[in-house]
Amino acid sequence: MNIILITVIVINIIIALLFSLGGVPILVWVERRVAGFIQDRLGPNRCNIAGFRLGGLIQSFADMLKLVFKEDFRARAIKEKFVFMIAPVIVFASAFLSYMVMPFADNLTIGSQTFVMQGLPVNLGVLWFLAFAGLSIYGIILGGWASNNKYSLLGSVRAGAQVISYEASMTLALISLLVTYGTINLVDIVNFQSGLLFGFIPAWGIVMQPLAAIIFIITAFAEANRTPFDIAEGESEIVGGYHTEYSAMKFGLFFVGEYVAMSASSALIVTLFFGGYNIPWLGTTTLKEHFSTVMWVIVVALPILSYFFRGWIIKNNVWLKADDKRNNETKWLVRILVIINVAVIGVLGYFLYAGVGATTTNIAVAIIQIATFAIKLLLMNFVFVWVRWTLPRFRYDQLQDLGWRVLLPLSIANIFVTALVVVGFGV
Amino acid sequence: MGVKIVPRYGKSLKDKLYLPAIFAGMKLTMSHFARNLKDTSNIKTECYPEMQPEDITDRYRGVHRLTHRDDGSIRCVACFMCATACPADCIYIEATERKDGIDEKMPKIFKIDLLECVFCGGCVEACPRDAIRMDTGIFSFIAQRRKDFVLDKERLLSHKSFKGER
Repeated sequence: MNIILITVIVINIIIALLFSLGGVPILVWVERRVAGFIQDRLGPNRCNIAGFRLGGLIQSFADMLKLVFKEDFRARAIKEKFVFMIAPVIVFASAFLSYMVMPFADNLTIGSQTFVMQGLPVNLGVLWFLAFAGLSIYGIILGGWASNNKYSLLGSVRAGAQVISYEASMTLALISLLVTYGTINLVDIVNFQSGLLFGFIPAWGIVMQPLAAIIFIITAFAEANRTPFDIAEGESEIVGGYHTEYSAMKFGLFFVGEYVAMSASSALIVTLFFGGYNIPWLGTTTLKEHFSTVMWVIVVALPILSYFFRGWIIKNNVWLKADDKRNNETKWLVRILVIINVAVIGVLGYFLYAGVGATTTNIAVAIIQIATFAIKLLLMNFVFVWVRWTLPRFRYDQLQDLGWRVLLPLSIANIFVTALVVVGFGV
Repeated sequence: MGVKIVPRYGKSLKDKLYLPAIFAGMKLTMSHFARNLKDTSNIKTECYPEMQPEDITDRYRGVHRLTHRDDGSIRCVACFMCATACPADCIYIEATERKDGIDEKMPKIFKIDLLECVFCGGCVEACPRDAIRMDTGIFSFIAQRRKDFVLDKERLLSHKSFKGER
């Protein structure tokens, strides 16, 4: 145990926490604003702290505070108090833990030590995710059953049937991927994808296994209980589904758990199919070799992007009443943008001037990869939100039909084809 | 009668695949999202307290007002027609003798409880002297206490027509 080891582990845990828990308010905000824009509405945009609205992000914190301070009501008919209490915890904890194996950067080498850049340094990879993603259904079933409410029970029964019919296809789609990659370690999977196919296409999972990608993404929607497969909640049919009887922070845990699960699914999709933390055509070694070029690109690109972002803020971040304090926000945001630019360019300029050592390069590459992973994660989460506000909910029998009669045979056929190719051509 | 053959969808391979339809839908929602993200003024939402509605028509029934005569005195003669016509029973009138020679009677107290009022316009229709109107254009009435919603005679006389009539 030395100081570097502890620092890196603590930083890893903090980053994993930020990605999972810290991402939830952002995801809620993205969900509501994207929903608004898709439906030609504005979405939440009024809530502010000293005039700072951040495009409505503050609303998420206000909602969270509301949930924390609400009365935690429990109907007297609920006899299984312990199960009732533990159910949201199971959902939340399993969603949270399934996030902990997502690698957000390549193995980091500092001096002679190598660190795995994920929340928990375990090598179980995909299996860990499957185990905990499968566990979260227990929370939903227990919560629905302990609620002593017909609608809740219906919701949890639906959720159980849904998970059974989808987890099979999901796992089988994963198996064809594992046959392709030849490993269950997520870092190895991502590094496999940093290669090139035919010399010019990034060897991402979606290029090599398009069918598995489609099946996995569809089943990931079902796994995260998101529309079009949110029949477990089905608010137009069975009130609120499994969380009908929950209020205050117990409901909040379900809610947060749902978003963490969605984010974890996105992270796994990004890791398996979209090259994880890789920038296309720029693997870890390439990044390290041409690091000064990368820095030059950032120094040039950042001000240009910031300029356009500034224009967008000034154009769109206006409050109609002229003397409102919310109108000062734009000024401050532009200032913060300028400060970030100056700081980043200053640091990079110093590195360009003074040259960089191996350790600094490694850390900087890790930071770039974390940023890449974050951007890809956000885009994938956006796809989740986008699909939710495009597609209506599947009917229960359609969902079973799709799961058992379409996705399952397809994924099994995919395994056979993959195995034939791998064994036959020896790739 | 001509027979219109309605085409049935869902039998072709493209329809059965679902995915083309899903992507078409996602393209549509994306076009809305991109358009609104690029310029939020494309969204037609009226940000209400800052933006007041501008489409109140001449016939809009807002909060009541009592009209004036040409000399500025109250037009109402306390005939109780409005209070009788009121389905919500929200108008309370006490009459008194009018001593200035313009007319014989006038209201001493004229109260309208806006919490009871259903804004049906019955009082305006019933009034034989055109003394009560609902053309103030006030669509939102806010107060802190219940009793502040009971408008008295002076308050009703002070309301102005949004069309600029007396």
